[in-house]
Amino acid sequence: MPMLDIKNLTLEIDNGTSRVKALDRVNLTIKSGEIRALVGESGSGKSLIVAAISGALPDQFYLTADRMDWNGESLLSMSSEQRREIMRRDIAVVFQNPISALDPSATLGEQLEESIPAELVEGKWFWQRRKSRRKAAISTVHKVGIKHHRNYLNAYPHQIPTDIGQKFMIAMALISQPKLLIVDDPTRGMETTTKTQVLKLLTRLNQTRSLSILFISHDLLAISSMAHTMTVLYCGQSVESGRMKMLRKRPLHPYTKALLDSAPSFRHDLPPKSILPNMDGTIPSLKHVPIGCRLGPRCPRAQKDCVITPAVRRIHDHTYSCHFPLHMEKL
Amino acid sequence: MIRILLRYIILFVLTLLVLAGLSFSLAYLFPGDVLANLTGITAQNEMQRAALAQQFHLDSGYIVQFYHYLKNLLTGNWGYSFISGMPLSEEVRLALPATIELATYAMLLAIVIGIPVGCYAGLRSYTAADYTINSASMIGYSFPVFWLALLFILMFSLEWNIAPLSGRISLLFEVPPKTGFILIDILFADNINRLLAFRDALHHLMLPTLAISVISIASMVRITRRSVIEVKNKPFVAAARTRGLSQGQIFYRHILRNALLPILPLMAIQITTLITNAMIVETLFSWPGIGNWLIQAIYQRDYPALRIGMLAVAFMVVTLTILIDLFNRVIDPSREKYERVAV
Repeated sequence: MPMLDIKNLTLEIDNGTSRVKALDRVNLTIKSGEIRALVGESGSGKSLIVAAISGALPDQFYLTADRMDWNGESLLSMSSEQRREIMRRDIAVVFQNPISALDPSATLGEQLEESIPAELVEGKWFWQRRKSRRKAAISTVHKVGIKHHRNYLNAYPHQIPTDIGQKFMIAMALISQPKLLIVDDPTRGMETTTKTQVLKLLTRLNQTRSLSILFISHDLLAISSMAHTMTVLYCGQSVESGRMKMLRKRPLHPYTKALLDSAPSFRHDLPPKSILPNMDGTIPSLKHVPIGCRLGPRCPRAQKDCVITPAVRRIHDHTYSCHFPLHMEKL
Repeated sequence: MIRILLRYIILFVLTLLVLAGLSFSLAYLFPGDVLANLTGITAQNEMQRAALAQQFHLDSGYIVQFYHYLKNLLTGNWGYSFISGMPLSEEVRLALPATIELATYAMLLAIVIGIPVGCYAGLRSYTAADYTINSASMIGYSFPVFWLALLFILMFSLEWNIAPLSGRISLLFEVPPKTGFILIDILFADNINRLLAFRDALHHLMLPTLAISVISIASMVRITRRSVIEVKNKPFVAAARTRGLSQGQIFYRHILRNALLPILPLMAIQITTLITNAMIVETLFSWPGIGNWLIQAIYQRDYPALRIGMLAVAFMVVTLTILIDLFNRVIDPSREKYERVAV
């Protein structure tokens, strides 16, 4: 049974006059111990999915889903107290912008220590508990690769560089020993060595503690090196989802193919100085989403049928939503 | 930190210099004899006049005169009142604490009532409770203070007779002014029943404090509410929520402190309004404060008193404003970032 199971998640934004579907029937499952990558262009709704799972949606967002289960319990129907308990212990989120996700008036150490669940703190008296908290904070900070904990635990968020902030967010997420880690673009703004360090840390946690990770990124190279499965998102619709290997070898959806082709690192056959293939046009704004398959106007294989939203089709554990998929003759 | 302190001190001194210059020029701008305006003493004969002119260097240029004026100010030689003939420093020393006392209690009331109510309204933003509080504060803010004070006198003193009409304390109690704050002076006074005197003073304090604080409470509620709503929608509060912190933890650890930080400088702006209101209310309640004293000086054309009264009130406002701003600088960690070099 999947750990997190989301089926037909629809998120509507009320802009006063009408409702816009920012997410349109998105499906996402995460199994225990799996690293799932979630990719898509900017504005495709990746961060909205994170907000929907973590329950941090603003009031004018309306969320409906056929199923949104955490270990068999519905996240939508449970009480806010139960939901909070799950967020506190089982799911941890690393947000995109670390500096704005940290309280500007509290030191990093305070914020890190307050994220430790009470049952993980040893000791009976408050000084013992304080010591234990401090110890846990320091060891977690070391684990994510911040060496000088003395400098940073007493610093305020505006005093630290962004990459330290990003690592700190990861430390804050890991300190509650979660089962699922949702990381929203964790390596943004980091240079290569730090990036590798963070990615290695995530992979190691996945292997040693069987931590499931929902990995959201633009970095296809990083994704292909660590993710087991991948879900591709376009303009609020999940277009294709399956094992990483299958998707790379034989993408069924034209958008997945275009996305993979646009990454030069995957194209060993690309001659030097040739034009990188890309899809015409840009992702439509939420005010002007096309009907049917939202890729329609940009898709090279689009036909008349594409004005009807394609149903989700499944070949083994590979799902896709397209009327005219690629590579069908080989299957 | 030292550089910030130095900057504030320079700002403080410069502002005071401008104010002193203004008060000095008043001696020339007011009708009548410059020497009399400056000293408050009307010279009886030529010899006394020459001596006074000598002391204030009236025969030298304006700059030299101003320098000696400053020197006199600093040594406490502020001149004499036309009317009472008392030294002005003595009169201000008696009147100013009464105003400060009134304004302090009003401010305390505004903080004690305004901030919790504002927080409540902010947390329950855009609900019935919030709208009720918001409209009540709007109504309170719109009351003209002199009218409200008159209304209070009419209702509480004349109709229901539960509060005295005017003054600071019943004449039966003889309280020698030591600090100038009546509630503290009572504690030092001998030969009176302190408990009774204290209750009487509180009775006298009640109406003027209420009249001033209605506006301060209303504006405090509005500022706090706005600030809490703003902080509530910040990403770090959403992030704290996803970490599974409870509502109480989020409010006390993350919302409250961040919401109160921007309130402090706004409070500094409020102080001017507060003191102005206190001065108006004083006249209505015959409260022996600086406002009442200044109004009397205006009626009686007591020019030296006006000159010094203006300086004293301005000094108080400037000091408080700068102190609050400095305090805010010290406690707000994100404001030191200007000192850091951007790479």
